[in-house]
Amino acid sequence: MQQEAMVREGPPGKTTAQFRQGSALRQLWETNLEVFQRDKMALFGLCIFAVFALVALLAPLIAPNDPLTPLKNADGDWIKDALPYWLAEPGEDEAEGYTNEFFLGTTNIGRDIFSQLIHGSRSALLVGFSAAAAVAVIGTIVGLLAGYYGGWVDTVLMRAADVAFGIPFIPFIIVIAAFFDPSIWNVVLAMAVLLWRDTGRVIRSQVLVIKEQAFVSAARVSGASDLRIIFVYIAPSILPLSFLYGSFAIAWAILTEASVSFLGFSDPNTISWGFMLQDAFLSLALTRGAFYWIIPPGLCIMLTVMAGFFIGRGYEEVLFPRLRRM
Amino acid sequence: MSILSIRDLKVDYATQEGTVQAVDGVSLDVDEGQQVGLIGESGCGKTTLLKAIVQVLPRNGRITAGKIMFKGIDMLQLSKAEMRQLRWREIATIPQASMDSLNPVQRVGSQLMKLLRVRGGYDKRAARRRAADLFDLVGLDTERLMHYPHEFSGGMKQRAVIAMALALEPSLLIADEPVTALDVIVQHQILEVLRELEQELNLTVMLITHDISVVAQVCDSVAVMYAGRIVEQAAAQPFFHAPAHPYSLGLQQAFPNLARPRDELVSIEGYPPDLREPPSGCRFAERCPFVQDSCHDIDPRLELVGDNRLAACLRSGEMETLRLQAEDPALWQQVEVAQYFVDQPLPPAPSPKHQGGGDALAGLIEPTASPLESAEEAAYGGISKSPPNALGGDLEGGRVVAPLLEMRDVSKRFKIGGGLAGLLRGDQEQTVYAVNNISFTLRRGESLGLAGESGCGKSTTGKLLVKLLDASDGEILFDGADLAGMEQDDLLNFRRRSQLMFQNPFEALNPRFTLYRSLTEPLIIHGWKDEEARLQRVIETLDRVNLRPAEVFLDKYPHQLSGGQLQRVVLARALVLHPDFLVADEPVSMLDVSVRAGILNTTRRLARELGLATVYISHDLSLLQYTCDRIAIMYLGEIVEIGPSSEVINNPQHPYTKALIAAVPVPDPTIENPPLRIQEGIPRPTEQFIGCPFAQRCPDVMEACIDIRPPAITDEYSHMAQCHLYGQHRDSPKLKPGAEVTSGNTR
Repeated sequence: MQQEAMVREGPPGKTTAQFRQGSALRQLWETNLEVFQRDKMALFGLCIFAVFALVALLAPLIAPNDPLTPLKNADGDWIKDALPYWLAEPGEDEAEGYTNEFFLGTTNIGRDIFSQLIHGSRSALLVGFSAAAAVAVIGTIVGLLAGYYGGWVDTVLMRAADVAFGIPFIPFIIVIAAFFDPSIWNVVLAMAVLLWRDTGRVIRSQVLVIKEQAFVSAARVSGASDLRIIFVYIAPSILPLSFLYGSFAIAWAILTEASVSFLGFSDPNTISWGFMLQDAFLSLALTRGAFYWIIPPGLCIMLTVMAGFFIGRGYEEVLFPRLRRM
Repeated sequence: MSILSIRDLKVDYATQEGTVQAVDGVSLDVDEGQQVGLIGESGCGKTTLLKAIVQVLPRNGRITAGKIMFKGIDMLQLSKAEMRQLRWREIATIPQASMDSLNPVQRVGSQLMKLLRVRGGYDKRAARRRAADLFDLVGLDTERLMHYPHEFSGGMKQRAVIAMALALEPSLLIADEPVTALDVIVQHQILEVLRELEQELNLTVMLITHDISVVAQVCDSVAVMYAGRIVEQAAAQPFFHAPAHPYSLGLQQAFPNLARPRDELVSIEGYPPDLREPPSGCRFAERCPFVQDSCHDIDPRLELVGDNRLAACLRSGEMETLRLQAEDPALWQQVEVAQYFVDQPLPPAPSPKHQGGGDALAGLIEPTASPLESAEEAAYGGISKSPPNALGGDLEGGRVVAPLLEMRDVSKRFKIGGGLAGLLRGDQEQTVYAVNNISFTLRRGESLGLAGESGCGKSTTGKLLVKLLDASDGEILFDGADLAGMEQDDLLNFRRRSQLMFQNPFEALNPRFTLYRSLTEPLIIHGWKDEEARLQRVIETLDRVNLRPAEVFLDKYPHQLSGGQLQRVVLARALVLHPDFLVADEPVSMLDVSVRAGILNTTRRLARELGLATVYISHDLSLLQYTCDRIAIMYLGEIVEIGPSSEVINNPQHPYTKALIAAVPVPDPTIENPPLRIQEGIPRPTEQFIGCPFAQRCPDVMEACIDIRPPAITDEYSHMAQCHLYGQHRDSPKLKPGAEVTSGNTR
């Protein structure tokens, strides 16, 4: 009703062709584009992911050595605890019978740390993205169904969410790891089984709000089916929320994987950053001052987690513009 | 002596799109003991003026010129601390929606006493005494002091707010829309309180409202604001009898008036000018039916045009003749109006851009029904095809036409507090009897109004009628078929034929859809596969609701339109499928006065053209009298009275109907509303009554009313009322001699 801001419009700017086009996917793409255009932090986060994704994709090409095979010198001895070449005393390597080309040195059993770091990005991103996808998809569907249908559907789903809230997360993964073979997929499974609860709850509440709006009733009065109302009227409004929770889930998944690996419940044959940290911890790298072993994986975890939160923040700003003023 | 004197006040708002001159050179004097009503449509600067007076402008607002003198003090020179001293002690304000500003976790009495002690320097005992006096003054029980705000009804909260405003005996009370959003009966009572206070305390009041009938009831002088300026200022009586500015003329004729029903209301077409670049000539010129060439060039000044009257119009000399011409609504429609849009980039927030999901899924979820049959289409082909023209004859001649819609003893109950959660919490399950055994029929082309206070079940009835809710009991027959049993194709067909128009146009359209998409959705659902045909129909419908040129609107998003335009789009969406039946739930209550009449006229005209049966739901009886053939009065889920509009309004039989009619303010200061004889507050509809549901509040209640259900008595005009005292009430209808009771009424 505020007409203060009214202006006369010039000749209609858009042609009539424009309003008819525009698929759902394109519009979703535009929202996402908007997030990254508005928020440079989110763009930064996206760049971090892009770099890691590239590294993960090209890992075998970038990594100079196999991450799991202990390296041996000319005499057949393991090259244990080699310093990075930029730290090592000149000539030391030759005395030991190998050429020091290790950017980050080797582990206590002679594995190339730099190669491990490169390969670690694979499991991190794999866990991060699949867990995020699982959380977002399950949470969104649960939220939509519970919110829209209400009644016993809502009761069943939300009580299930309560149960999921009641299960401690890390111990749950440890139990899973005990049942199945240790694998990074345990983390994904655990997150899919447990962490949809937050997404589901939030999306349900949003659906409850949207469902009561007059335009949804209007759709029903004009004969729209339940599915049409859910997917055409309600889902587009809550998809950005799914993205928000998805991007947070990436960060959580990587952190969780790192914690589980650090606790020693990961697959010893898959290199991940958490596994590297545990390896370094157990071999007392800290006491030996082998910062080049500890800091890089830590930094990588931090960067990916940060990237996830930056992107999440970007979505939050677009979704809840009021936050911006605070 | 004037207590408040404003001279050439200018207030600017700095916005991202430029500087808005919200108040532009306003001069106004308020004398001691005077009650000034400030009226005008929204966005004309009323509230800004109020905020400037007490200097609580938002951060981007600035007083750029002018003077505000209060009791000889230049308020603009005062420091913040001095200003704070002045507020509440000298100038009390009741801001908009202030009844929601009571602290919910404190007793109302403690809030009042805290105010008295902190700001007024009362000691504890004196504060308590004063608080009790104040509650007494505004007609609240002093026991209420111990209650929390949630235990108050809306009207009681508003009384409490008035009590707080008056606590420190201010010299000036400024009230911003004090009765908007209140039910008619409550509104009436609040106005009564204000009127009494004015007399008892010799209060000086500045009342801001968009509703001129409120001003007529409580003010003795009027100032009309338009586009940041005062265009007319006069004492109330002469103002209401002979407005001296075309805008005031329009406003006055735009209001339905119970006492003087009109055939057609005036709608002031167009929109106020853009206050970033106000026109150089008269600001109303673009919407004025009496515009001359000179109006666009010369900016009229507010000049004395008669006894104590000021008006800003170049043609004020000819006002006598203009006034007569202004009676004709057709004149107002000649004004050519360009369509305006809010020229903003799409908001950043969940922007309408990703309206997604739609088109991709449109193919996926196929509508279940076959495309409309061509025969059906042909029946609606001609726009001008006259409705079953026997309408008037039907009603008067009493010929029997098969009803389109029939409600037979329909009830709707809701259960609350039940379920698993309620069980665990130990809540008792309660039944709300929202609609109780109501029956009525509706013929093709007929319009029925449902009236009553909020909570009387009228909206629930509306939802039942379009099957947004299913009846708990009884039958709703649409063209002979029961709604309850409808499935699949039958249901879809029913959905095509019945539509709903919503109260709040700002919510009724999907913010992510372009208007084209919103309007084409129903067509897609009903199997219109041909895109060209859909576009054709959408354009045709937009044109029909007077959104022209229709093409301009297709790619607009809802937030780019004004409320009036939006409500037309909502109407267009309801009509795009060419329905037989339309429910309009408070269709204009959220809109500005100047556009209300336009929407009502369009809806009424189209309903006639299309032979649409319409149900209007409204708390505003004057509006229903204007739009409806018949009116049904609902109370606690029951229809207590139903009949032809003129009969119900002019010859009400049920005491509740009488109270409702008495409560409607009339835009004429000479007609004084009689005191209401009933109390505010509908009881919660959680019990079923053996006797008359209205017995608790009825002024004429007898013993029989409590135990025996009154019979439904119908007279020869098919005017039914349920009351034991049918035809024997003491009070007569309020319409006084000035208002001839025309039997022909509105149609």
